Amino acid sequence: MTTTRRNLLKFVGGGAAGALLTPAPWRLITDTALWSENWPGIPRPARGEIHARFTHCTLCPAGCAVRARCVNGQPVSLAGVKPHPISHGALCPWGIAGHHLPYHPARVRQGPVKEALAAVARAISQRGAGERIAVLDLRPGRTVSWTNRRAMAAMDNGLYLAPLQPAYSIDLTEAQTVVSFGAPLFDGWGTPGNVFAARANFRLVQIEPVETRTAALADVWLPIRPGTEAAMAAALAGETTIAEAARVTGVKEEAIGAVKEAIASGPAVVLAEDPASPLMSLNAKFHALGRTVVARREAPIPEAWKRAAPVNEMAAAPDGAIRVLLIDESLPGGYVPWQDIQPKLAANAVVVVFSSSSEGYARHAQYVLPAPVYPEAAEDIGPAIDTVPAVFRIAAPLIAPVVPVVNPGELIARIAGLPQTDPLRERADAIHKAGRGTLLNYADGKSTPVKQVSADDFWKTLNQGGCWMDDSGKKAAPPGFSRSVTSPAPHDDLPLTVVAAEARRGGLESPLMSKLERESNLRMTANRVALSPADARSNGIENGGHCVLETACGRLSVVAMIDAGVPAGVVEVAGGPRMADLCGASQRARVVRA
Amino acid sequence: MTAHKRYGMSIDIDKCNGCGACMMACAVENNIPPAPEAANDRRGVTWIRVYKVDNHLAYPERRTAFVPVLCQQCGHDTPCVHVCPQQAVDVDPQTGIVGQMPERCLGCRYCMVACPYHARYFNWWDPKWPAGMEKTLNPDVAPRMRGVVEKCNFCHGRWHAAQQKAAAAGQSEIDPADYVPACVEACPTGALRFGDLNDSSAEVAQDAQRPESFRLLEKIGTEPKIHYRSRRDWVREIASAPRPEGKDGLRG
Repeated sequence: MTTTRRNLLKFVGGGAAGALLTPAPWRLITDTALWSENWPGIPRPARGEIHARFTHCTLCPAGCAVRARCVNGQPVSLAGVKPHPISHGALCPWGIAGHHLPYHPARVRQGPVKEALAAVARAISQRGAGERIAVLDLRPGRTVSWTNRRAMAAMDNGLYLAPLQPAYSIDLTEAQTVVSFGAPLFDGWGTPGNVFAARANFRLVQIEPVETRTAALADVWLPIRPGTEAAMAAALAGETTIAEAARVTGVKEEAIGAVKEAIASGPAVVLAEDPASPLMSLNAKFHALGRTVVARREAPIPEAWKRAAPVNEMAAAPDGAIRVLLIDESLPGGYVPWQDIQPKLAANAVVVVFSSSSEGYARHAQYVLPAPVYPEAAEDIGPAIDTVPAVFRIAAPLIAPVVPVVNPGELIARIAGLPQTDPLRERADAIHKAGRGTLLNYADGKSTPVKQVSADDFWKTLNQGGCWMDDSGKKAAPPGFSRSVTSPAPHDDLPLTVVAAEARRGGLESPLMSKLERESNLRMTANRVALSPADARSNGIENGGHCVLETACGRLSVVAMIDAGVPAGVVEVAGGPRMADLCGASQRARVVRA
Repeated sequence: MTAHKRYGMSIDIDKCNGCGACMMACAVENNIPPAPEAANDRRGVTWIRVYKVDNHLAYPERRTAFVPVLCQQCGHDTPCVHVCPQQAVDVDPQTGIVGQMPERCLGCRYCMVACPYHARYFNWWDPKWPAGMEKTLNPDVAPRMRGVVEKCNFCHGRWHAAQQKAAAAGQSEIDPADYVPACVEACPTGALRFGDLNDSSAEVAQDAQRPESFRLLEKIGTEPKIHYRSRRDWVREIASAPRPEGKDGLRG
């Protein structure tokens, strides 16, 4: 037999076809996939010793207890601490991914520290009579806040400014009925674990125009006409008739009557979206003061700190008087719209902001100094709005700062010439000296009376995972509330009422928040607004269309979404400092096509 | 010989506030990267996704609910297992967990087509984390490459860790407290529960027997091991919808 070219081709072709019927080529494909799994472009997680460390989250005033799973000292996941009597093992989505913040690509990584100090020194030496040096502290109530206040007391014409901090705490465990005027009870209000632990024991009446997350889970949601909360409050207080309130608010008479009955049937508490809202004065009418609304208690401080500067709201500062403004934006907190700050500044004012984000006040400051982010810095967290006893908890750093940072408290103390000490340790010693309360150790879940712990052990436990809680003591009524309720004035050019869809958080958030914002429809991204179909139609706006949101404070390019759950006459806006600057001082707006 | 488990989950929709803690905990635990610039709700990767659904009525009668949807861990005729040409999907007879082996996956996406719950996700891009953030990856879970499908596996890494702990202690059975998926651990409202459906004393098994309990697309007979419950009629009715409401017209 001779081998012809044809036979050779037949053999090769037949062999190839036959090979396809065997597992070999398919196996080869699998092996190729296996090989490609190990491409060098895919990061390999580091391996090493695994252990747990404890700290507290500083991303909001709740200060939830955190258990960090660490590999070679590097936190790889965060979870709550189950036996904690206030946070009950819960963390919010921001807290769960807090360990990503040091690596955020948008983080402020450097800043002109020397130039800023020189400019501040120059401005202080050249300031005229009556010109002030001020600190704006966005998270008052911390130990570093006391440092800032002491620094301002030490300076000639120093002024300590902060968003108004409520002088009361809410005891949800005592409430049978909670009447909430837009307070986001299930979405960022107070301490999440504490709220959900108390949830089974109270009936929630949510009064707000849009069905928020809280309204969706409330026992009763009253969809009120925007801006008519005062009329509803007057009816609940018995100052006007239910019929009149129903006419103004658009809520059915029976529903208002049922709420009145619920309030009368047992301990109740009224909450408002703004803790300083005059709506809170309804609590006096419902005999809630001293019962469900109690005086806020703080941990003891060293005697010498009591000579600190008083806390002032921004409105208390004289116009055009602030020559130097130091803004501590290192932790997300209450945001004061820039429109409220600007009139208070002198013509040649120096504004220095300590921040990790370029989105907030960094947009308005001459000098932006990089601040540490959670969990890089040692901080403490003041009591949350739903924490009744005084507490002291330290957010011990889990990692060293990954970029050169400036500690705001230390720098402000240096500017004021305060001695460089460790204020956290001084306060811990003052608490220990007072001898009250108990120390909870997260590692073993045991509570020990402070009297039985040495000062050094007290400090060590606070830093390694522990919390001091004061004795329950007698509840005191908080100071009274202002009673005048104002509604946003109608404005012909601005027909829409602004309603916040998301909490106006500042600062960085984990890049993984894309799961909730872009990869699903769970939360609204920062540049979005939602309109009713009727309002969208009348303005020629399409779903997903580019628009301009206008208020009395300015304009912002946004993407509009049409949502049948938004009532006509309302624009629901996302969170973030740009929205806060635009809508914080003005509740009326309009949306026009870009 | 240990008894076979049938791990499942119960989800109380009336408790879910849609905070998204479960989605974040899942992404952290399973090394799911942040979305690339071009990613959206259809091309992103979220092993558990909380859908915002409503009753289709006009304001003010409209009501909203949040429905977490993850791999339903089908217990009968598991569609994705049947269609996979690479045997990259299997059901572990010891646990009942439907597993996905990305290293075998070719990326044909037959399983995504077959899955009636839209609970499988394709990696359109190489996984990338911002510089330095790769230090925060979980060493128990390998990141997946571009071109493969992935899905919830009830945090299989945690099950292995619990197995190892039990073995080290000389026990044949794991302590149920040692094996809790990240989403269940993270849920601040207590809406998610996890456990062995074969254990009648387990909370999850008792939840599955409640009258208000239901499963998604029950009529197609895949016997999912995720049991939802709600006292609201309209919420139970959407369980038979072919596609979760809210998938279109996203606001995010």
